[in-house]
Amino acid sequence: MSCYDLSRLLFDLKMKDSVYEKALTDFEDVMANYELTAEEKTALRDGDPRKLRQLGVHGMLCLYIKRLQPEFRDNIYWQQK
Amino acid sequence: MPLVSALAASHAPNILLEPGSEWEDFMDLHYSMAPKGSSNRPTLEQQKKLRQDAEAAFAVLREDLERSHPDVLVVVANDQFVNFFWNNIPTFFVTVAEEVKGQFTRHRFQYRNHKELGNAIIRAGMEKGIDFSYGENIELQHTQNVPLYFLLREPSIPILPIYVNTWVDPAPSPRRCYQVGELIRAVAEQSKERIAILATGGLSHFPGSPRIGEIDEKFDHRLLEVLRDGKGKALADYSVQELLQAGDTEFLNWMVVIGAVGDAKASYTAYMPDFVATGWGFVSWRSL
Repeated sequence: MSCYDLSRLLFDLKMKDSVYEKALTDFEDVMANYELTAEEKTALRDGDPRKLRQLGVHGMLCLYIKRLQPEFRDNIYWQQK
Repeated sequence: MPLVSALAASHAPNILLEPGSEWEDFMDLHYSMAPKGSSNRPTLEQQKKLRQDAEAAFAVLREDLERSHPDVLVVVANDQFVNFFWNNIPTFFVTVAEEVKGQFTRHRFQYRNHKELGNAIIRAGMEKGIDFSYGENIELQHTQNVPLYFLLREPSIPILPIYVNTWVDPAPSPRRCYQVGELIRAVAEQSKERIAILATGGLSHFPGSPRIGEIDEKFDHRLLEVLRDGKGKALADYSVQELLQAGDTEFLNWMVVIGAVGDAKASYTAYMPDFVATGWGFVSWRSL
């Protein structure tokens, strides 16, 4: 099963500041720009990388969902590529 | 001219992150994939010791590199969703830009890119049945920047980034990577320039996996022993699946350099598991 759009959203959260900034204020609106299933949207809202991995997303992309969580927003990881 | 220097080194981000809060950040994020992994965090003193040991290993490699007086450093590494995504995943990619740059936390990197050598490798590959992808616009990332920080901090010579897909399934076979290395060696031997080569990545680690924190030290030690014996070609018999099981798919980058050095024995090896995620490995081949 392809999860291209789900993976793309997670990729954009790290690589595109505009997507990240928008997601902080209106994540539902950001998700609407990608073709996501209801299950994928639920996993994104939950913010648990392990659930995203179960949907077939590459493990490292799964971690990118953590960028939206307050305790991870200043993590040094976002300053490296 | 034969290759003048060959090196391999891990590119784990925490090698260059500062012990303390930056390491904690690194562990906080990665262990969110496997919370139980966080029960075995190294102390600040252990982190500092690891950094010192890595710096000592890099110092040996840097001395070997400088002693060889290279005109260019070929850097074989993998992308990690910085330049390539599922709209296009190249198995092997050669950079033909004028210059390349990137950033790692507060460290900035900028080098001239040796696109003439890049084009020579691409054309030689097409004659020999290895069809590289290539392009002019890439961004350096930790897979290059971490080793370059310790080995070539001042951009005194150009580099040539070559990418191997070690990151997304399916990846090329170790044997194919070895053949790419043989090709690079053949191009070097036809060149009047002094060409050095560096592979980055590994050793055992499981990023983005529930196995994060596991390190297959036994497998890593076996790899290094084979390299010391000058029998790296035998490693081409491994399957990608075997490397994957050991957390060593980035060893595919190393296989390119192993193909380039042939039967040469590694003159220096060092290994240190970081207790966090990765078995850090360092190799130099002085006699090529």
